[in-house]
Amino acid sequence: MIVVLLLTSILLVTLDLRDSGFVAGVRDTFGTIFRPVERLTNVVTKPVSNAWRGVLDYGELRKENLALKDLLVKQEGTAIAAAASVREAQELLALNGLPTLAGIDSVTAQIVGQSPSNFSQTFELNRGKSSGIRVGMTVTNGAGLVGKITDATLERSVVMLATDPEYAIAVKVGNCTTPATTAPTTTVPEATTTVAETTTSAAAVPPTGIDGGTTTTLPGETTTTTSTVPPTTTTTTSTTTSTTTTTSTTTTTLPKPTTTTIKGFTPFSTTLPPRPGGVGSQITIPDTGGLVPRETGALEGRGIGRTPIIRFVQASERLGALCEGVPVVTAGGSQSLAPPDLVVGTVARVVNRKGTAGPLLEVDLAANLESLNFVRVLLYQPATEIPR
Amino acid sequence: MKRFFAIIESPATRTFLLGLVVLSFQTTLFNTLRPLGVVLQVMLLFSCASGVAAGSEAGAVTGFIFGLMYDMVLTAPMGLSAVVFGFAGYMAGGVNAFVHEARWWVKIIAVALSTSTAVLLYPAASLVVGVDGLLGSRIVTVALTCAAFNALLAVPAARIAKWALVKPVRQAIWAE
Repeated sequence: MIVVLLLTSILLVTLDLRDSGFVAGVRDTFGTIFRPVERLTNVVTKPVSNAWRGVLDYGELRKENLALKDLLVKQEGTAIAAAASVREAQELLALNGLPTLAGIDSVTAQIVGQSPSNFSQTFELNRGKSSGIRVGMTVTNGAGLVGKITDATLERSVVMLATDPEYAIAVKVGNCTTPATTAPTTTVPEATTTVAETTTSAAAVPPTGIDGGTTTTLPGETTTTTSTVPPTTTTTTSTTTSTTTTTSTTTTTLPKPTTTTIKGFTPFSTTLPPRPGGVGSQITIPDTGGLVPRETGALEGRGIGRTPIIRFVQASERLGALCEGVPVVTAGGSQSLAPPDLVVGTVARVVNRKGTAGPLLEVDLAANLESLNFVRVLLYQPATEIPR
Repeated sequence: MKRFFAIIESPATRTFLLGLVVLSFQTTLFNTLRPLGVVLQVMLLFSCASGVAAGSEAGAVTGFIFGLMYDMVLTAPMGLSAVVFGFAGYMAGGVNAFVHEARWWVKIIAVALSTSTAVLLYPAASLVVGVDGLLGSRIVTVALTCAAFNALLAVPAARIAKWALVKPVRQAIWAE
């Protein structure tokens, strides 16, 4: 009997690994029988699950909620800027006849279940073949790549996460042209706005910046008010009694220079011609000559609690140095699992290896795979996943 | 009608129905309760409990069926859990070969040992069929947590397994 069981197991494993239709059919049939039982049990056990979560996760959820609120406020501004950048990038890609994500339809689905195994990292979605979802399609969320569809029935589908050991995808990694310590910066010059309101006499007040503050001198007055304003918004009101002139001066000083580090390109500064009645403004433009080709590699999942890695990356002087913090996007191509330029994450660590093996890059995924709820399935079936 | 009841009361039907119910608990309740981030393995618990309740061979067959049912809802290669759970059931049933009437604490030890062995065996079996990356330090935590939980529920699970396998029909198909 034991030998029969063992041989049956080997047969089933072999059939499944060779994508047998028989095994898929058995799975589908069992799913049809099992689904109502599971739903019923879910209803019965829901109070216990909720109680468990309530007892163990309440404090953590509260902290997380506060942190998320804080993060949301910070992200709102960034998201607007990013949306504008994406729009520009899409326009540029369209102008050059290059493929973009904008032309790919997508389906939004909710995660309704998680793998009951300690080893596989899969989620179940509430959408399936009836919504156009097919095996191999890429799954993303607002942040970036989540995984791919590995199984699809009429109303359900299964997503394998990008951290699963069986997941692999071709990616592009941005290179650093200079070492990370001397990363190029984009500098936005300090802006000062001064509004002067005078009841008896109005005069244009030329602003003069001194140590992040502003000195304001009002002409035709017996008293000079000098105020040094910290990098916040303040209002100074002075009343001069000797000349019976009331002057209200509002001085707004923006925060200190904003420095944004963008790895992957060397910017240079240029000064625009002075505007009428104002000073010249300094802006920073990326130096296209300094852009280096991006290195490609294979992103592979490593299981629960471990960051995915990128293999087959070449470290050469011509391609520039690999450094932490650079963005990782999908490479695309006819054989790739995902369309090009889908955000994956950033390089968390560069592990240099001896010999010709090349460095290993650990990647921090942009999408938080531990708290997924709604995801987007790109209706893009890779050529390699289309059944023959 | 009599034939219908005979089918319903047969150990095969009872085992299948028990597996269906336990699997539904596995994918719902025990998928949510994750102490130390570990999914507790009730399917494995009942595979081992069947071995303890009805002997090695019955344990192996029940473990195989439960493992197969578990494989149906996983994305892992079908038959992998079946062979591991079958082995666990067989191993747990080994306790009956050493003692005539196993005491409750012997059953607990047998279930805990077989559970931890099965949990450690699964990544190794995966490696054989080409699924890499499951062997890591976390496996120790998973094995210990699952073993502790299954040990806790070993005695009641063995009773339920005994009801499914041997109680209604004396000549239980696999127990002989």
